[in-house]
Parts: sequence; C-alpha cells; structure tokens
Amino acid sequence: MIGGLFIYNHKGEVLISRVYRDDIGHRRNAVDAFRVNVIHARQQVRSPVTNIARTSFFHVKRSNIWLAAVTKQNVNAAMVFEFLYKMCDVMAAYFGKISEENIKNNFVLIYELLDEILDFGYPQNSETGALKTFITQQGIKSQHQTKEEQSQITSQVTGQIGWRREGIKYRRNELFLDVLESVNLLMSPQGQVLSAHVSGRVVMKSYLSGMPECKFGMNDKIVIEKQGKGTADETSKSGKQSIAIDDCTFHQCVRLSKFDSERSISFIPPDGEFELMRYRTTKDIILPFRVIPLVREVGRTKLEVKVVIKSNFKPSLLAQKIEVRIPTPLNTSGVQVICMKGKAKYKASENAIVWKIKRMAGMKESQISAEIELLPTNDKKKWARPPISMNFEVPFAPSGLKVRYLKVFEPKLNYSDHDVIKWVRYIGRSGIYETRC
Amino acid sequence: MPYLGSEDVVKELKKALCNPHIQADRLRYRNVIQRVIRHMTQGLDMSGVFMEMVKASATVDIVQKKLVYLYMCTYAPLKPDLALLAINTLCKDCSDPNPMVRGLALRSMCSLRMPGVQEYIQQPILNGLRDKASYVRRVAVLGCAKMHNLHGDSEVDGALVNELYSLLRDQDPIVVVNCLRSLEEILRQEGGVVINKPIAHHLLNRMPKLDQWGQAEVLNFLLRYEPRSEEELFDILNLLDSFLKSSSPGVVMGATKLFLILAKKFPHVQTDVLVQVKGPLLAACSSESRELCFAALCHVRQILHSLPGHFSSHYKKFFCSYSEPHYIKLQKVEVLCELVNDENVQQVLEELRGYCTDVSADFAQAAIFAIGGIARTYTDQCVQILTELLGLRQEHITTVVVQTFRDLVWLCPQCTEAVCQALPGCEENIQDSEGKQALIWLLGVHGERIPNAPYVLEDFVENVKSETFPAVTMELLTALLRLFLSRPAECQDTLGRLLHYCIEEEKNMAVRDRGLFYYRLLLAGIDEVKRILCSPKSDPSLGLLEDQAERPVNSWASDFNTLVPVYGKARWATISKYQGAEHRGPELPDTASFATSGPLIPEENKERVQELPDSGALVLVPNCQLTAEYFEKTWFSLKVAHQQVFPWRGAVHPDTLQMALQVVNIQTIAMSRAGAHPWKAYLSAQDDTGCLFLTELLLESENSEMQISVKQNEPRTETLNSFISVLETVFGTIGDIKS
Repeated sequence: MIGGLFIYNHKGEVLISRVYRDDIGHRRNAVDAFRVNVIHARQQVRSPVTNIARTSFFHVKRSNIWLAAVTKQNVNAAMVFEFLYKMCDVMAAYFGKISEENIKNNFVLIYELLDEILDFGYPQNSETGALKTFITQQGIKSQHQTKEEQSQITSQVTGQIGWRREGIKYRRNELFLDVLESVNLLMSPQGQVLSAHVSGRVVMKSYLSGMPECKFGMNDKIVIEKQGKGTADETSKSGKQSIAIDDCTFHQCVRLSKFDSERSISFIPPDGEFELMRYRTTKDIILPFRVIPLVREVGRTKLEVKVVIKSNFKPSLLAQKIEVRIPTPLNTSGVQVICMKGKAKYKASENAIVWKIKRMAGMKESQISAEIELLPTNDKKKWARPPISMNFEVPFAPSGLKVRYLKVFEPKLNYSDHDVIKWVRYIGRSGIYETRC
Repeated sequence: MPYLGSEDVVKELKKALCNPHIQADRLRYRNVIQRVIRHMTQGLDMSGVFMEMVKASATVDIVQKKLVYLYMCTYAPLKPDLALLAINTLCKDCSDPNPMVRGLALRSMCSLRMPGVQEYIQQPILNGLRDKASYVRRVAVLGCAKMHNLHGDSEVDGALVNELYSLLRDQDPIVVVNCLRSLEEILRQEGGVVINKPIAHHLLNRMPKLDQWGQAEVLNFLLRYEPRSEEELFDILNLLDSFLKSSSPGVVMGATKLFLILAKKFPHVQTDVLVQVKGPLLAACSSESRELCFAALCHVRQILHSLPGHFSSHYKKFFCSYSEPHYIKLQKVEVLCELVNDENVQQVLEELRGYCTDVSADFAQAAIFAIGGIARTYTDQCVQILTELLGLRQEHITTVVVQTFRDLVWLCPQCTEAVCQALPGCEENIQDSEGKQALIWLLGVHGERIPNAPYVLEDFVENVKSETFPAVTMELLTALLRLFLSRPAECQDTLGRLLHYCIEEEKNMAVRDRGLFYYRLLLAGIDEVKRILCSPKSDPSLGLLEDQAERPVNSWASDFNTLVPVYGKARWATISKYQGAEHRGPELPDTASFATSGPLIPEENKERVQELPDSGALVLVPNCQLTAEYFEKTWFSLKVAHQQVFPWRGAVHPDTLQMALQVVNIQTIAMSRAGAHPWKAYLSAQDDTGCLFLTELLLESENSEMQISVKQNEPRTETLNSFISVLETVFGTIGDIKS
C-alpha cells in the first residue's frame, strides 16, 4: 500500500502532494526528505528505490518531472512501479505530455484522479475509460447530471466486465490497430550483433457497438505450424514468414485459457484505446539500418571519423526522422563535417556530431566524414569511445510480425464483421540502437 | 523555514472567500479555492481559512466539493472543532441520490483524521456497506479500516467483521479485494484476515475477474493458505498457472512467490516455476521501463544465488548499454559476475573489460570489482586483464585494481606470483586511502617477492608527515615491520625513522599507540615479533567454496517480491529492525545479518568457516607433496576403506576441479585430460595427525556417476567420514558452477 504520492518539478518544488496514510510521518518531512536526498543529491541517482529514515521512496522520472510514491511497508517493488507507470498513462490520456506546465494547469484534475485511483493507499479503479465516468473534467455537469449518466455510473460500477460498460453505440463501427515496435541493437565495431531484440506492442482503438467478441490472428510460428499440419508444403512456404515470439503478455480482457490451449487470441475489447498485447522477439530481426564506423587517430591532436549507414529494407519504403549521433572526445576544439545527405552539426554541449536525415529509402547508403581537431591535454585518461547511437522510424515491423486478421462478432446487434472498418498500421522505432566504434 | 510570508496570502484569500460577489460567481469562487489548494500543496499553512472553506463545502458544484474535502482532510486534525461543522453537509451528501456524491462524501468523512468523528461516521459506513452501488460499497469497506485506525487499539467490532467477511462474496471485484485489505488492517492484532478453504477457493475462482492490483493483492493473501492435501495443492497450482504469464510483472512475481511457497516441499516444481518465469523476467530486464527493469534485475540476482546456472545462456541480455542509467548498469554487472561459467567466461570478461574504461569512474570500478569476483574461479584470465588495466596508469582504475589484488591474493594464493610482478610502478598512480592501504598491505605481506618493496615503503615513510589518513599510517607501520622480518637489512633504517615519527610527532592517538606497541614488541625480541606478526598470508577456504555455497530456494522464497531483494538482506534487516516486528522472515537470524558485508569476508560466511573444521575435527595440512612413485607404492599396499558414488552430470573440467581441490588442501597426483573415457584422477591429502587419504575418482562415460574409492593408512572412521564430506562439498560446488 502507498502512504503518499508526490509530484515534483526538476527544481524540487512540489506540484502535487497527496497523503493517504498517517504512518509516513509528517507530510512536510517526507516531502522534503525526498527533495534533499534524491532530487538535490550531488551524485547520480543510485537506485529508483531510496530509503530515508526507514521510509521507502519509489520514484519514476518523466522528462523533468519526478513522481514519487512513499511507503513504510514492505511492499512489492514491481507493483508500485507499475502503479506509477499506470498513473503516468492515465494522466497522459487526460492531458497529453507530462510536463510541468501541463501538471500545473491540470492540478485539480490530478487531485481528482488521485482521489479515485487510490483509496487509503490501495489501488482502486485505474482503467482510463472507466475513470472517465467519475472525473468531472469541466465540473459543470454536476447539477444537471442527467438520469442517463447516473445510470451509466451505476451500470459501470456493477457491471460484470470491469473494462467495458454496456449499451455503447456507434453509428460507424471502426477499429484501428497499431503495431508499435522498438528495435534494440548492440553491435560490435566489426559488425557482429552482440545483442538484439524487439519489444513490441499491439495497440487497439475500438469504436464498436455493443459487446463485440473479437478474434485476433498474426503470423505466430506455433499457430501457423499447427494449422499447416495437413498440408506439408504449405507449412514450409508460410514457415518463412512466420515469427517466433519469445514471450508475450496480454491485456486483461484476453481469455488466457483459450490462448494456452489453442493459441488463439479472443476478447471483448474495452471501449477506446488500449494495449492488446506486448511481446518480445529475438530471432530473425530485420535490422533496418547498419552503421559502419571507421575511426582513425592521426597523431595526438586529430581524429578522422567516417561513418556509413546502410538502409536494409524494401526500396519502396521510406524511413523517417533519422538521426545519427557520433560522440566526440571531451577535448575537441573544432570539427569539419562533410555529409552526402541531410544535415550534420557538431554540438559542443552534447559532445557529439548530430547528423539528421529527414527521409531515406530502402537499400540506400549514405556517408559522413568528419575531421576532429583535439586540444593537446595532459590528461592521460584515454577517451572511452562511447558507441554511435541512432534514431529512426520505419513503416514496417522489424520483428516481421504481420496481422493476419481481426474478426468481430456481435451476435445481439445486427452488424457483421464486414461492416466494421478496420485500419492497420505498422511503426518500427529505434530503441537503444548502438554500434560500438 | 522556507515557507515564510504565508500570513499575507492567508489574509488576502480569506477576504476573497468572504466576498459575496465572488461567492455568487461560481467560476471565480472555484478559482480562489484552487489557489488555496495550490498554496497548501506548496507547503504554506492554510489552516487560517478553515471556516471559510467549510462554508464553501455547501455547494452543488462537485469539483468545488472535492477540493474543499481535500482541504478539510488535510487540516481537520488542526481544527477539529471547526471540522465538526462540516459533518452536517457530509452526512447529507451521504444520502444523495447520485452514487458518486455518496461515495465522495463517505470517503472524505472517513478520511477526516480527528478525534470524535467516529460516532458520526459509524452509521453512514453501515449504510454504505449495504448500498446498491458498488462504488459506494468499495468506499465503505475501506472506511471500516479507516475507522478502526482512528480508534487506535480499541477492540474489534465483531458484527462489522462478520459483515465484511460476508462481503467477500460481493459481485464487484474491487469490493472483494477491499474487504480483504480492510479485514487485514482491522484484525492485525490477531494475525490478519483468516483464509480458510472456502474463502481460498472462492478467491481462486474470482481471480480472472480482478484487475492487476487485485490479483497481486489476492496472490499475497493466498500465501497464508495451506492446502490440506497434495491433490488440492496441485489443483491450486494448475488454476494459477496462467498468472505466471500475466502482462503485469507485479502479478507474475506475486504468482511466482506463491508457487515457490506452496511447493516448498517439491523442489522440482520450484525449479519448473523458475524456468517458466525466466521469459517474463528477462522481458522485464530488457524493458524500457527502467525502474521495473531494476526491480527485475534484483530478483534475477536472488534466483542466481540458488541456481547459478539459471540464466547463463542468456548472458548477453545482461550486457550494459551506454545510455542506461547508472543503477541498472551496476545491477547488470553484478548479475554477469554471478552467471559466469566455462562456456561464456571469455565473452563476459571481454565485455567487462570494456566497462573498465567507462567515463563514469563509479561504474568502471564496479566492473573491476566484478572481474575480481570472477577471478576467484577463473584466476589466470582475470589477473591478466587486471594487469593490463594497470598499464592505463589512471588513478581511479589503479586503486581499485590493487584493492582487488589484495582480496584475490588472500583467497587464491596461486596467483600471488603474477600479482607481485604486476605491482611495481603502481604507487605513482594511487592517491586515495583505500588504494594506498591495499598496496602497502601487499608490499608488507609479499614483500620478499617484490624486489623494490622496501624502497616503495621508504617513499611512503618520507611523505608520512603529509599523510592525511591515519589508517594508511597504521597499515604502513604493520607492513614495514613485517617486511623487516624477511628483509631486515633494507628496512631497519626506514623502520627506525617511522617508529620515531609515530611515537614522537604523530598526533593521532591510535597511530601513536600502534607505534609504541610495535616498539615494545621489538624490545621483547625478534622471535616474539615473528610469533605475533606472522599470521597466515592467505585463507583460500573462504573463496571458492564459501561463495558458491548453495542457498536453497526456500531460504529466500518468503522474501521474494518484497523489498528485501531490492535493498539487500543486510540493509533490510537494519531498516526493519526499528520498524517493529511487522515483517521479519523466520529464517532471518537476528544477530548475524546486521553487519554489512565487508569486502573480504561476508559476515554470514564467517560462521560457516568456523563450522567447517569443527565438523569431525579434520584438519588437512596444506602442501603435503607426495611423489607419484610413493603414491603408487602406498596405493597398492592399502585396502579400499570406503567406496561411494556421487551423482555427476556432463564432462569434467580438470582445471576447475583441481583448483577447487587445492583450495581444501587436497593435492592432485594425476588426472586424465578432459573428455577422456573413462576419466580417472588420483588425489592425496594428509591431516594434522599424519594420516594419509589416497583417493581414486572414476567416471565411466555411460553412467552419470562419479565413483570414489578412498584408502587410508591409519584406519580411523570419524576422520574418513569428514574427508568424504569435504569431497562431497567440492563436487557439489563444481557441479553447480558447471550447470
């Protein structure tokens, strides 16, 4: 259980403070203890869990904002962090980015949320959709609250399924599926993959009437092999396109028993946006970019750096927002850069050359070369050569995951699977994508 | 006080709140109230406007109500008499037709932490428990706990408890979970809520309907239930199987813990479970949520203590990435250090070597210490890496390397030669106290193998006046005196000067005392000095065997998924010591665990060390060197005194085995090369009474058993038994490292 929840800005000023239990001591002491010991601490953060005067502070940082949960009990660390993430998600769903300005502008709303999500330090309802019924964002409704809305609350709070209320109606039944992946890579200078994995999420936005029963299919190796048992050559054909999922987890609404026995994913979706599944793959990952670094030290005061990036996907696709970050030594005095494409700049404050390319098609190659002048120093410390990192966005799933179908059945209302408009989108982003040099 | 200047603000706000014009304009009125709350958040004392805020609570605007209630909950303890005025409004709201208003009012009323409020809230709570809207029931159930908290230690209301127990069957999942939480708090004195068979089964059936918080909570409560029969136990485990794959890491961890505890008598089930959660744990370890990743890594380390080989094939997952936060890198290095085995040692060391030159000195030092840890098993490779690091001539690296060497020489005497060769020249790059102490200790203890040791120490003595750390001076005294014993001619003059300085000029009492003590000791004669100072130069029995000693899963299962793995056992013990007996695992010994583990000998291991020689009074003599011929002659002249088979998996790694045996003072006479079939080895050992133990190891390729035949030149069963148990420990440990 959580004794209190505080939100600070980067200076350590309290933006929100909510105390649920008396056992964490006097409110101000707890608030100040975290500020002094963690936010204002001189060295870097030692651990996301800090113990001050036998009170545990769990913190999560979002851009400049610190969220801290405080407790005196021996709680489950994973659970508290999950709760803080959930809190961030809920807040983001209400007002977008978590920033100091947004928090200040919405502080009434945040207090309302904190009131509903936690009671006496115990997590209560935390589904964004379900919460919307309780939170009076504009707050003007209360007096003229209609009968209908009141009954909505009652049906929501008594409903059998916690994540969906009954009686939802849309004129147009529509659903959106986003396959969002982040591909992580650590590569040695020789081009050997040290570790690579994709962590992906399937996010669904559903605007469906009634209580629709959905079934989701993808090119999961196990399923395809199971189905293809009859025809042997079909298995070998489709086997190439199927992917091996290391592990996956689902939203609460997915019937796990059915997944375990038949490996089929069926569920009644919550209304609006939710994360259907989360998965991870490590085999046969399509690495969208290859970075080939070449660093040469010319004497003590000069470095020559040449970096080639190669895009490795279908020529018809376009990668976007490409950014290559080439670290430079601390004693750099000047940099000359020549690049074939995009713009490159030396940023002294970040100790790096940042090379940006807006768009790049598949199967292309681009190159940057730089001459780095160094100041002669007495410091014998060798430069540690941090890795070259990369950011990008590509319109396909690096894991190879494909959505095969998403069927919708609603037996009570008269719309069928064909009437539902479905949209599927794949976005692959870089996670930690590093090449050592 | 950083919160000055509140008086003016309070005055101004008070005026605004009283202004009838503002009161008439709802938006402006609410804005003023918002300002009050904002100041309250920042820490200004806003209790001055309590009266005005109470008036503001009588409104139809729900947002305004919420804000005022929040304000009242904060300041009610300071103004109890005024707060009673608000009770009327609250009571009225408790019977509002809108369930949201009812819930809000009830929740706020229960949160007013002030004396005398109980009599007003009792009735609304009872009504709330029977409300038709589950939203109100949720609030009312937790309200019971709040009410009990206010009462303090007063007696438990039996009727209320019964009502709560019956609400466990409520159809709303959150009401059910809240009931458990509430009962737990109310019945804390009596040991918390009772989970009997019907309740346990009911909860198990409701599990899939609960949200993640509820699931985690219920899993925690189920720990208390003990199934009657094995059949029931496995039924429960089957029911809960799917939760090991839940999307919420918290639920996965909770389920894991429940499995480990329920199956405490079935080690194979426990191992199975740990294999099953490998995937989810690894996923959490490489997830983008840093903090969760940290928690998962802490638990991975916990598992590795019992199953050292569990994550060995996934070692690459624990390689650090440049942009990860510091705390994750440190955890990962620890994990790498623990999962190293014959197959991956090369790659892991390669990786760790890369970290040693990291920009962050902290992280670099952690990596070097990790290499030092691995060196206890894979000495040669590691010492080579460490020696290369000295070549970088950087202060923060050299000092840690030398400290690592000091610990290593103590645990693995076989690397002394290599260390002694690497040391010359280090002194130029060491400035801090810890590093200096380590270097001086090494020079003193192993000075006879380092040609320029006396001159390095002499340099230290020259500069002793400017030395800021008394500990260094003390170390210098001891080291120089020790070196004097082995190389008197070169040290006498320096020692004289140092003693003179310490006794005549030094201001630190401890150093002066030490100087005087040595001076008098020298007066007592050189033999006496030798007797006092020539302690052993190494104690290998602490290293390999003790570090790897198996910790059964059951010893930490009850700590799993709590804060204990996050803080570390020793630290948690100090924290919880003051917290009263709220949580203390039964296996936590009260005395031993407070000491923070020193770098050399972890406290808990010390006890075991003392146990070892006691068990059977067997002391094996080091350096008993038999020639192969003598061994052969004796072997054929004796009869087999004992024969036994040990379970063994896979091939033998002769080097590892030999090293491990050497540590317990068992010499290897001859050994087949790795992979030979059948594989054989001959070992010898001698105890302090002169009794010889000759041993043959035989591993046939087909069966997975190691056959052991021991011969003894004096038939004494009690020492034979303890010798066998020593062998058993060694094989057990080696088996562990391999897997």
